[in-house]
Amino acid sequence: MKRKTSPKRVAAFLVLLAGACTMVLPFLWMLSTSLKQANLVYTIPPQWIPNPFDWANYKEVWHAANLLTGIKNSTVITLLVVVLSTLTSSMSAFAFAKLHFPAKNAIFLMLLSTMMVPGVVLLVPDFIIYTRLKWIDTLLPMIVPASLCNISNIFFMRQYMVGLPSAYLDAAKIDGCGYFKAYWRIFLPLCKPAVVTNAIMLFMGTWNDYMTPLLFTHSEARQTVQVAIAMLNSHYEQQTDIPLVMAASLIAVLPVLILFITCQKYFTDSLVMTGLKG
Amino acid sequence: MKKGNKLMRREGIAGLLFVTPQIVYFLLFFLLPLCICIYAAFTNWNILSVRHTLVGLRNFDKLFADPKFWKALKNTLYMLTPIPFYLLFALAFAYCCHKKILAEKAFRVVYYLPFISSIVSLVLIWKWLFNAQYGLVNNFLALFGIQGPNWLGDPVWTRRMIVLMISWKMIGIISIYYIAALKNVPISYYEAAQLDGASSWQQFRDITLPILTPTTFYLLVTGMIGSLQTFLEVQLFTPDGGRGYGVGTIVFYIWQKAFESSQMGYACACAGVFGLFIMLLTILQLTVSRKWVYEGE
Repeated sequence: MKRKTSPKRVAAFLVLLAGACTMVLPFLWMLSTSLKQANLVYTIPPQWIPNPFDWANYKEVWHAANLLTGIKNSTVITLLVVVLSTLTSSMSAFAFAKLHFPAKNAIFLMLLSTMMVPGVVLLVPDFIIYTRLKWIDTLLPMIVPASLCNISNIFFMRQYMVGLPSAYLDAAKIDGCGYFKAYWRIFLPLCKPAVVTNAIMLFMGTWNDYMTPLLFTHSEARQTVQVAIAMLNSHYEQQTDIPLVMAASLIAVLPVLILFITCQKYFTDSLVMTGLKG
Repeated sequence: MKKGNKLMRREGIAGLLFVTPQIVYFLLFFLLPLCICIYAAFTNWNILSVRHTLVGLRNFDKLFADPKFWKALKNTLYMLTPIPFYLLFALAFAYCCHKKILAEKAFRVVYYLPFISSIVSLVLIWKWLFNAQYGLVNNFLALFGIQGPNWLGDPVWTRRMIVLMISWKMIGIISIYYIAALKNVPISYYEAAQLDGASSWQQFRDITLPILTPTTFYLLVTGMIGSLQTFLEVQLFTPDGGRGYGVGTIVFYIWQKAFESSQMGYACACAGVFGLFIMLLTILQLTVSRKWVYEGE
C-alpha cells in the first residue's frame, strides 16, 4: 500500500509523536540524571546532557543498596517461576484441550471462578496461611503459588492447543505413547510461540513484582531487587542523592527492557490474544 | 469394549494428574484463604495473640464508624476518574496507528515502555519529575508562567499525580487492545458505507465505534477492578497515606490495619466488604452491558 501524505495523516503523525514524547522523556530524564554528579542535579533550567558524564553512580549504587542480594533473589525467583509455571500451565492446558477426564468442566469452572474474587480479599488470609506454613520471610510465597497455577496462561495455551489436530494424540496412543510423552514430545513443541509468549510475560510480572515481597518478607537477606531499590529510595530521600536513585531504578528496569526490545513481537502477540478473548 | 474402558480410565487418571497443581492451588491458595477471610471477619483475630474469639458484627460496626474508612473509600473512587480519559486517548492513538502512519511500529514500542517497567522505578522517576522545586514538570509549567503545585506535599495534588501516572502507564497497553480490535473490522463494511456516501465521521460513529464496544467494555471493567485496588502507588508515594489521609485507598487502609497494627480480623472484615463491592460491580456491569454491546453477526 502506498503511503499518501494528506493533512490528516500529518496531523495523526504529530499526535502520535507528542504521545511518544510523553512516554519516553521520563526515561531519558532518568538516564540523564543518573549520569550527573549529585551537585549538578539542581540546575534551573534543567540540563539534559550531563556535563561532565559521570559513571561513578553506577559503581557506587552497588555499595549503597542491597542490590546484589536483590538481584540474586529476584533471579532465583524469576527463573523458578518461569520454568515451573510454564510447565504446570502447559500441562493443564493440554489436559483441558485434549483429554477426557472426570469433572473436567467443573474443574475448569472452578478455576474460572477464582477470577471473580478480587485479590485484596486473599491478602490477609494468605499472610495467616504463610505464617502457619513458616513461609514468612522466605522466598516461597513468591515462588509456590505462582508456580502452581496461572489462570490466564492456562486459558491462553488451552486456546492454542484446541487449535491443534486431535489426530496427533490418537496416533500417539496407537503407537503406545503415554500421555505425558504425547504432551512433551508432540503438543508442547507445537505450542512454542504460545509458550515463549507466556514465559516472557511471566518473567516481566515476576521480576517487577513488588507487592508479594513487600507483604511477606522483611529481612535484608530476602529482599528482591524491587524491594532493595524501594528501600534505597526511602533511605536516600533525606540526603537526596537523586542520581544514585535514578541509576538504581535504571538497573531495575534494564532486564525487562532488554527482553522487551529483543522479543517485542511476542509482547504484542500475547496482548492481542489474551486481550481479545475477554 | 473392555479395552476401550480401560483406555478411558487411563486417560481420566492422566487428565486429573495433569491438573493436580491447579487443584492444589485452588484448595490451598484460593478456597482456604477465602474461608479464612469470611471467618476472620467475625473475630478479633490478632496475629500477636494466639487466641481469637467471635465478636459478631463488631468489626463491621467499627469499620463503618471509622472516618478514615470513608475517606479511603472516597480516595479509592477518585482513582476511577482517569479511566474514560485514558480509554479515549488510547482509542485516538490506536486510530492514528491504524491509519498506517510512518514509523508506527517504533511508536508502539515506545508506548509500551511505561507498562513493562516496574512500579518501583516508575514511582522513583515520577518523584523526581514532580519535585516541586527542581522537577521537570514544574520547570516546564514555569515556562508558561504557571507556578507548579507541591505535587508530593499536597494530598490533593498527589492524588491527581497518581491518576495521571496511571493514565500514562495504561494508554500504551490499552491502545494495543484497540489496534487489535480495529484490525478485526472487515474492510467490506467501510466499502459499503463509502458506496452509500457516508462521511468518514459517519463511518467512525456507525461502524467503528459499535464494533469496538466489546473491547471498550472489557477494558472498562478490568480498568475499574484494577483502579479500585490501587495500592502500590499510594504506598510508594506516601508511606503514611498522605497528610490527613488524603491519598490512602481502601487496599492501603486494609494493608495498614493488617500489617502495621496486625488487626487481622478487622482487616478481613474490610477486605470482605470491599471485595463484595467489586464483585457486585462486575456482575452489574456484565448484565447492563448486554444491552449495548455489539455482539457480532
